[in-house]
This record gives sequence, structure tokens and C-alpha cells, in this order.
Amino acid sequence: MLLQMEKITKLYGDVAANAGVDFTLEEGEVHALVGENGAGKTTLMRILYGEETPTSGTIRLRGKELVLRSPEDAIRAGIGMVHQHFMLFPSFTVAENIVIGREPRSGILFDRKKAAEEAARLSAEYGMPVDPHRRIADCPVGIQQRVEILKVLYQGADIIILDEPSAVLTPPEVKELLAAIRGLARRGKSFILITHKLQEVMDVSDRITVLRDGRVVATVRAADTNVDELSRLMVGRELVPLEKRPARPGDPVLEVEGLTVRGGRGKAKPLLDGVTFTVRAGEIVGVAGVSGNGQTELVEAIAGLRRIDAGRIRLCGRDVTGADARDLRRHGLAHIPEDRYRWGSAKEESVADNAAMGHTDSAKRSGFLLRGRLRRMAEAWIAGFKIKAESPAVKAGSLSGGNLQKLIAARELAHGSPLVIAAEPTRGVDIGAMEIIHAGLLKRRDEGGAILLVSSELTEILKLSDRILVLYEGRIAGEFRADEATEEAIGRLMAGVTDHAEHAVSAGRAGRSDGADLAASRG
Amino acid sequence: MRRLADSLRGLVHPLAALAAGLAAGAVAVIVVGGSVGETYAEMWKGAFGSFYYLTNTLARSTPIMLIGLGVALAFRAGFFNLGAEGQLLFGALAAAVAALYLPAPPALAMIAALVAGIIAGGAWSLLAGWLDVRFRLNLLVSTLLLNYIAIYVCSYFVSFPLKDTSGSAAINQTNMIDRAVWLPKLFKGMSVHAGFVLAAAAAVLLFLVLRHTVAGYHLRMHGSNPLFALYGGVRRGRLMAWTMLASGGFAGLAGAVEVLGTQYRYIDNALTAPGYAWSGIMAALLANSHPLGTAAAALLLAALQTGGMGVERNTEVPLEIASVIQAAIILFISARFTRALLKRRKARAADGTAA
Repeated sequence: MLLQMEKITKLYGDVAANAGVDFTLEEGEVHALVGENGAGKTTLMRILYGEETPTSGTIRLRGKELVLRSPEDAIRAGIGMVHQHFMLFPSFTVAENIVIGREPRSGILFDRKKAAEEAARLSAEYGMPVDPHRRIADCPVGIQQRVEILKVLYQGADIIILDEPSAVLTPPEVKELLAAIRGLARRGKSFILITHKLQEVMDVSDRITVLRDGRVVATVRAADTNVDELSRLMVGRELVPLEKRPARPGDPVLEVEGLTVRGGRGKAKPLLDGVTFTVRAGEIVGVAGVSGNGQTELVEAIAGLRRIDAGRIRLCGRDVTGADARDLRRHGLAHIPEDRYRWGSAKEESVADNAAMGHTDSAKRSGFLLRGRLRRMAEAWIAGFKIKAESPAVKAGSLSGGNLQKLIAARELAHGSPLVIAAEPTRGVDIGAMEIIHAGLLKRRDEGGAILLVSSELTEILKLSDRILVLYEGRIAGEFRADEATEEAIGRLMAGVTDHAEHAVSAGRAGRSDGADLAASRG
Repeated sequence: MRRLADSLRGLVHPLAALAAGLAAGAVAVIVVGGSVGETYAEMWKGAFGSFYYLTNTLARSTPIMLIGLGVALAFRAGFFNLGAEGQLLFGALAAAVAALYLPAPPALAMIAALVAGIIAGGAWSLLAGWLDVRFRLNLLVSTLLLNYIAIYVCSYFVSFPLKDTSGSAAINQTNMIDRAVWLPKLFKGMSVHAGFVLAAAAAVLLFLVLRHTVAGYHLRMHGSNPLFALYGGVRRGRLMAWTMLASGGFAGLAGAVEVLGTQYRYIDNALTAPGYAWSGIMAALLANSHPLGTAAAALLLAALQTGGMGVERNTEVPLEIASVIQAAIILFISARFTRALLKRRKARAADGTAA
């Protein structure tokens, strides 16, 4: 046995983030750690990486007890971690990033040549091709992740912790990543994989440990289980399959025409380039794409939070181009923002205050807030969306990410507004919260709401959308009806592959795509 | 239970800052060779030792409290209005001019003078807000610099066009305001005047406005996360205009009540020398911009100042000791101030994306 974590307990005050967790890892094994948010995965891995000290319990490496006081200790013991958010210097080269902190020297100088050789050697040895001289800023995300893994290998890691490694990757990049993990495992490296994506877990892992409420619910061999069983174990109950009736689209609610947002100073490439589409009442239009292809700008532009350079936006037939958030909300916009902390909440304020945003018009009398009504509203959402909050008086920042997200979704859906923009509505939330938010969106659609769903999570797009647009480098690269969309076809457009005839926009929509091009050249 | 614990926790920082300030003051007292016990005893007596001293402290706290409330209001909205001094001066000058030259019955003239003070202070503050909205001129910088303009403009007015030429020419001041227009004293022979009641009422009013009105709610949310407020439909420009107007209005009112209740004329340097504006800003910082807390902090700071005068009268320890204690307190609360500033800087950088 390579690694044994025995009876690990971590208390924060009275709350046990980990309660007597046993976890083992064999040499050359890929062991996935799954569970809902707050189940204790991150805490357990932070303990293993020396970022937290356990309240009780022991860690043994090759039978010898190990005390980890800092990540330095962990790295020295051969434990490396690749964080969800990459820790790379964009202006440095691949080689420089790999050797950082342990640079080869000649005398007192940094030996750049040796660094490049080392990087090339590692890359060849582990079959993970990279160009050592390329700057990180010029590398696609998939390559950046490869560099992160090589960096950890360079540091001499035998155990590699991967935290949500596929969150930012395109489907082909995910395939490559999983292949690389298997390849390294064959060479004797061991992996701990934290992820929400159960299909990936099934594809790559040898064993799977499911955590719930800080305890181990089960450790199973991947060969003996399936995705449904894992979901059940994670949530602790049967999942209700989402019931989705066919959409009955009505009148256009949101009409976007030739929407263009230019990049910052000195950037020739526009962030959004002549984007044209329509969302009708009673349908969910999904916008798929790898993060950073213009989704953020698209949502902010429609929600009145970003200036646009060209194009028109109509909401419920009214021209709202250039309107601010106040007017847009008055004319029928609700918005679940991409970043719940940046836009969606004020962490330091109470849950009740966070819930009231946008609802003050319906809960005021001559300028005074009807706090009682707002409080009852918040309590109803807390109950309806199963939000874990002690009371509406606690700070919003004390809620877990998933619970805060549910609060925001509840707040925005409660308007019953003609248009709902849902940007990454379930990013980083657990299955239970995801179910509730998805059900809320579908309910709103069936009531006749128009929903623009923007998500980098392809499964989410496929599950909810009636029509799917793919955004690539600020342009709409293609459009699919839900029944004709496949993960492969969308994945290719997401990755910028457009030369396949079968993915060309079908004849009926050619006109619209021409319109988009025209609008782009106009802007 | 939890709420009680939360509000107690809120008190820990100010109390710790106070204790640390007093401890640093004790060191200073020892260094200058005084007795710590005697010094603090005299300080207490000077601030609260008799009814006379108590009312003296209340009188001194009045402008600090009003200024502090205005500053707290702006801070709660996330606007760093450091222009209280200029707003105070214009308020005072406008009130003096209105009280002197408005042909109205005395009671009406008094009210008109107070209103003139509010408008003048508010307008000067609004100018900074407008510069921010229109030209993206950093509010912190503009409010600070506008202080200098206000100081010298007001100084010019009392040195030339409005100067009292009847008495001794040594002091630059306006004519004396008619006795009938003065703010009434609360107790015969004591210095505390009706302005203190106004200030205390304003603290309660501001507390209620922030907590229970839609405008107060939007203001608090903007102060907590400007992007969240923007997203929710709060208009920054409009919010900033009203907030700055009200914030400066408080400082202007402070100037007006000082003129109508204590000095009975506008005297050059009489409002800047005691550092009312900076004490007001400190009161808001000490209380983390909570209106009632700001009022309490204003009382505390006024007590430190009147107490310091008591120390000077009755011991060998110089007046500067109270300043040392005050300075030490600023030092200990500055950690929080810097954090708040950084937060604002970040928010502004992000603001660039917003329409």
C-alpha cells in the first residue's frame, strides 16, 4: 500500500468537515474522490497536501507515518497537487514554468538551456508533448494543464492530486487528459482525482471513494459500479429523473442582432463578433462553448452590464440597446450571473438583503422597505429550494457556494419575468442543488419564460436546451436542434473545427448565419 | 444569542483600539514625566467631571457627530468622501451670510441659515461626485483637494468682502449674528445648544433610513459590492449624487450649528483649527460607519479633547497627550481602513466594464 489515510477527522468549531475518513492509494492506481459540495473532499486533500492539519488521524506513506505541516513537506514526500485554477506565469515559457522553484543553475545563474532540456526530457518520458519554448499565454488550456502536471512530475511527485481537472477543457482535451492519466498510471504514478463528472470517473478510475457529510459512504471498484449508483451514493437518495416535455415556443422575447463587443486597447480581435440569435417564449436556448469564447461578454452585454460596440438588442419587442440593468429588469429581464460573488451577491450582507435585490419595487410602501414581506419571501425560497441557511439574518458569505447559488436562482426565477439569462447556473454546485436549479429553469420555461442558458458544461446544455448555439471565438459557430445535437458534433465546433460538411449549419438556418456575417462587417 | 454575540464582536475592535490608544498614551505620559493615574483622572474630570464639563463635551461633540454621520453615510455607500472640511466651511459661511443678511423674522432666519448651510455643504460635496461620474476623477483625491479651495475661498470672503470692520481689525471674521437668530442653549449658562439635539436626532434618523428605506438598502448594497448593486439595477451616478449631496449636507449643517450655536459669526480658522472634520472622519471609521456607533464615537473623541484640556489645566502634562492618544487610536483602526480602500480600488477596476 502506497498511501494510507486512517481515521482522519477535521473539526471546524463543532462542524466535522471530515469524520473518521479512511482512504488508501495503491501504486499506479487512479482513485477518484467524489461527493457533493461540502462533503469533505477538498478538506481531505488539503490535509494530504499539508495545507490543513487534521484534528486527529494518521497518514502513512509506504507504511511510515507522515506529518505534513506545509505543501513543502508534501512535495518533499512526493505528493503534488494540480489546482483547479492553474498556477502558471503566463509570460514565462513552458520550460520556465515547469522548473520554477527548483531551477537548474550554472553557478548563480538560471540555466535556461538545461531547463528546456529537462522539460523536453520529462515531456518525452511521460508521453505528454509540449513545446518547452512556447509562452504559457500562447498555449491552449489543455496544454497549460499538461504543463501543470509536468511541473508536479518535475518536483518528483509519485502521488498527484488533480482537483476538477476537466472543468475548463473541451471534450477532445478531456479525452487527451484521461489518456495521459492512464499512461502515467501505467508508469507507476498514482492519482487522486476530485471531480463532479461521474462519466469521467467511470472512464479513468480504478477505485472510487464516495464522501457524504464528511464520511466515507463507500469505496468501490469502478468495474463494479455505474454512474447511477454513484449519484445515489453521493446524494443519499434516489434521483428523480428530470421530466422535460417538448417545448412550445411562442413569440420572440429576446432578439439579438449583430451584437459586437470589441476587445480592449490593442486587441484586434473582437470579443463578440456579429452575434445574432433569437430566444422565444417557452424555450431554452443553450449557448455552448469553452469558457473564454465570449460567453461572459454576451451575457453582460444583454444584461446591461457592458457597453456594446455594434448591434441591436430587443426585449419583448422593445429596443433595449444600450439600456442599463435597471431598465432591462423593468422590461422583463432576470439574470442568474456567471459569477455569484462578483455580480450575484454581497457576501458581507445578510441572506435577506441579498434576496431582496431586484424585489424592492414589489415590497415597498412610500420608500420604506416592507422587511416582513421580504423576509417571508426569502424564507419561502429557503424552503422551496432547500437552501441550507440558519436564518435569513446570517451573512450570505457564510452559505456554501451551492446554497448561495440556489438563493440567487430562486431570487431571479421568482420574478416570473419573460426572459431569464442563466449563466453557468450550476457551476461548482453539487448534484442536489443542480437538480433543484434545473427543475426551476424548466418550470419557468413551461410557464412561458424564454431562457438563455449559457454553460461550458456540455451535459447541462444537452440536458436542458431546446436549441443549442455554439460560441467559438466570439462568433456563433453553429446551431443545433436538441434532437439532432450530439456531444461529438458540438464538441468539435467548440474546439473550432468547422471544415466538416455534416456540421455546417443546415439549409434552413443558412440565412441567419449570413445575417450574422453581414452584421459583423457592418460593425 | 448569535446576534448578541455578533454585535459584541463588533465592539471588540473599537474597544481594543481604544485600550491600545490609552496604553500608548500612558507611555507618552511616562516619557514626559507625568503620573499616569493623575493624568487619566484629570482627563476624566475634564470631560465628565461636572455638569459644566459634561455639557462642554456635548457641545464639542456636536459638529464632530454631524460630520461623522455624513462621512459614515458616504462610506456605507462605498464613496470615500474626505472633503468634510471644505463642506463644513462652506456650510458655516453660507449659514453666517444667511443669518446676517436675510431679511426675515429671526426664527425663519435661523431655519433659513441652517438650510443654507446644508445646501452649501451638499453642493460642494456634489461637485466632487459630479467630477467622479463625469470625468472619472477619483473621489478621494478630488474631495481632499477641494478642501484647500474651500479653505482659501472662505478665508478670502471673511478677510475682504464680509469682514467685520467695526471692531478690532486683528481677526478676520464676519459681523456678529443677531442674538435672536442664535440656536437656543439647552441649559442656561452652559455651552451645549440645540445643535446637539439635531445631531442626535440625525443619528437615529440616519440609522432608520439605512435600515428601513429602499434608498438606504440600495446604498448599503452598493457599499458592500458595487457590482452586485449595478447588476440589481441600482444606478451608480444617481446614487452617488444623492449620497454626496446628503453627506456634504451633514457637514454643512455642522458648520451652520457651530456658527449659530457657538461662535455667532464666521471666524477664520475657528472651524479648521480644532480639526472637527478629521475627528468626524475618525468617528465614522471607529464605528465602522454605523450611524449610532458614529454618534458614540463622536462623543468619545470630544471627551478625549475636552479631557485633554483638563489635563493641561491641572497637570504638568501638555495638551498634546490627548492628541497622542487620538493618533494612536487612528493607527490601530487604520488596518481596517486600508482594507476597505483596497476593496474599493478593486471594485473600481472592475467597474470599467460597466455601461
